[in-house]
Amino acid sequence: MIKVEHLSKRYRKTLAVDDLEFEVRPGVVTGFLGPNGSGKSTTMRIILGLDHPTSGRATIKGQKYGEIADPLHVVGALLDAKAVHPGRSARSHLRALAASNRIAFRRVDDVLEFVGISAVADKRVGEYSLGMSQRLGIAAALLGDPEVLLFDEPVNGLDPEGIRWIRELFRSLASEGRTVFVSSHLMSEMAVSADQIVVIGRGRFITQGSLESLTANAQGFVYVRSGDPAQLLRALVARGAVASPVNDGALSVSGLTTDDVGRIAFASGVTLFELTPQRASLEEVFMELTADSVEYGSPGRPGE
Amino acid sequence: MSSEVTLRSAVRAEWIKFRSVRSTIVGVATTFVLTIGLGAVICFAVRSRWSSAGPLRQATFDPVTTSLGGTLFAQFAVGVIGALFITSEYSSGAIRSTLAAVPARGALVVAKLVVLVSSIFLVAQIACFGAFSLGQSIFSGVVPTASLSTGPVLLSVFLGGVYLTALTTLGFALGLILRHSAACISVFTSLLLILPIVTFLLPQSWQNAFAKFEPSTLGQSMMTPTAPANSLSAGPATLLLFVYVAFALGLGVTMLKRRDA
Ligand SMILES: Nc1ncnc2c1ncn2[C@@H]1O[C@H](COP(=O)(O)OP(=O)(O)OP(=O)(O)O)[C@@H](O)[C@H]1O
Ligand SMILES: [Mg+2]
Repeated sequence: MIKVEHLSKRYRKTLAVDDLEFEVRPGVVTGFLGPNGSGKSTTMRIILGLDHPTSGRATIKGQKYGEIADPLHVVGALLDAKAVHPGRSARSHLRALAASNRIAFRRVDDVLEFVGISAVADKRVGEYSLGMSQRLGIAAALLGDPEVLLFDEPVNGLDPEGIRWIRELFRSLASEGRTVFVSSHLMSEMAVSADQIVVIGRGRFITQGSLESLTANAQGFVYVRSGDPAQLLRALVARGAVASPVNDGALSVSGLTTDDVGRIAFASGVTLFELTPQRASLEEVFMELTADSVEYGSPGRPGE
Repeated sequence: MSSEVTLRSAVRAEWIKFRSVRSTIVGVATTFVLTIGLGAVICFAVRSRWSSAGPLRQATFDPVTTSLGGTLFAQFAVGVIGALFITSEYSSGAIRSTLAAVPARGALVVAKLVVLVSSIFLVAQIACFGAFSLGQSIFSGVVPTASLSTGPVLLSVFLGGVYLTALTTLGFALGLILRHSAACISVFTSLLLILPIVTFLLPQSWQNAFAKFEPSTLGQSMMTPTAPANSLSAGPATLLLFVYVAFALGLGVTMLKRRDA
């Protein structure tokens, strides 16, 4: 649905997007993950025809954005919730957008109702809280009942209830067969809201896949609490493991299975109180993925 | 879908945007107040001093230009309306949703122009004819008056409205080029106020050569039934002003198309 091909964008000195290539499929929520400044917003602006790519292209259903007639019927986007004239009411803002793409004004009332800001629809947008603006932005994105939806960091500024609402919205939009592309710099956010994840770092493509496939490849570690941590640490290090003490006198061991750690403890006569395999946290997986892109060209890391 | 349909819906959208912000309402009200109200004040002042004015002043007195004197101030109001119509989209960031809805940037500019030019043309004509009529009734009995039944007088008043419309378009074009309200208003003010002052500091022969081509002087030429020495007559003045505005607009559209939003 959304296809990005050899896309690059240079702003004077910064190479914001660097030969980026990926596809976003319909029917699932696709997360667009990358650290701050990795080029997510730039990529989205190019997809929407707002910024001109330096090279490569981005298409929606095979067409460049500018070639789509009445684009709001095909693509809906929320880039920056505060990007509305502060002196205009939400209703006027949406009516202008509706008029430009020949959408009935009745639809404006419907989306206002749907996002829950009907009661304040005639107030000046400048008086809105960030959460209300965010809801208005979502109303604008949904206005033309589009098949393709792009959201740039949509949960920013929402309270927990709003975040849950928006996640459920993404799920239901995807389950209706729409293409839903959502950026975030938080892996934990992606973990609960996205089915597929595209990871970028410094404008470059890093990886794409389901959450499970991304975490499966990541390194785990073993948490071990024992009667003699110092003795166990020496024994583990002697066997080539990477181990380090954690707060409560326990050790965190990577590069070994729980079985290995148990055998080494037994051989060195240390009593074990607790031995637990730990999956790498999502944030660690993300750090590991993007650190590799940042340190592009450096020697491989242990466990790879 | 034809581009004509795109254009028509874009015009509807821009019309909604134009009338749904306070700055437009305030700008239009200011245009009326300055053109008609300030015009009336000027006319009263002339009337009250008429008997003490010298014979030369009395001989060169032009009741048309004088009654349209408020346009000298109203030109800034319409310039700001035009500039804000585009710069407010940049300052708020709304330009991105505008362009996402209407990606054809040329069509967007045409739509905005249709809305801006037709509304301000109407406002400016009402203001100028209002100022003229009010001015003549203030003059009547004491100061010589002019009548719209005279061809050149009618044309001058009409061109007063045309001048204000051209200047709102100039403000809009500067907005496209500069994107920032403050920068726009500075440049606009410089062109209309500072440029004449700079020219005034030049040697007389240079003044005679250049002053008549300045936008503000062109406005004076357009609003005078009888062109004074060292200035263009109304027709060429109007054309030259249109050339300036068209040039600025062309530059603005080219930049809008080239640059990232
Ligand atoms: N209009 C611009 N002019 C100059 N540089 C820009 C522009 N837009 C983005 N950049 C630069 O391009 C890089 C990518 O920025 P971008 O905003 O796309 O990142 P991002 O992934 O959206 O970051 P964040 O998570 O902070 O929103 C940054 O280094 C940024 O400074
Ligand atoms: Mg961003």
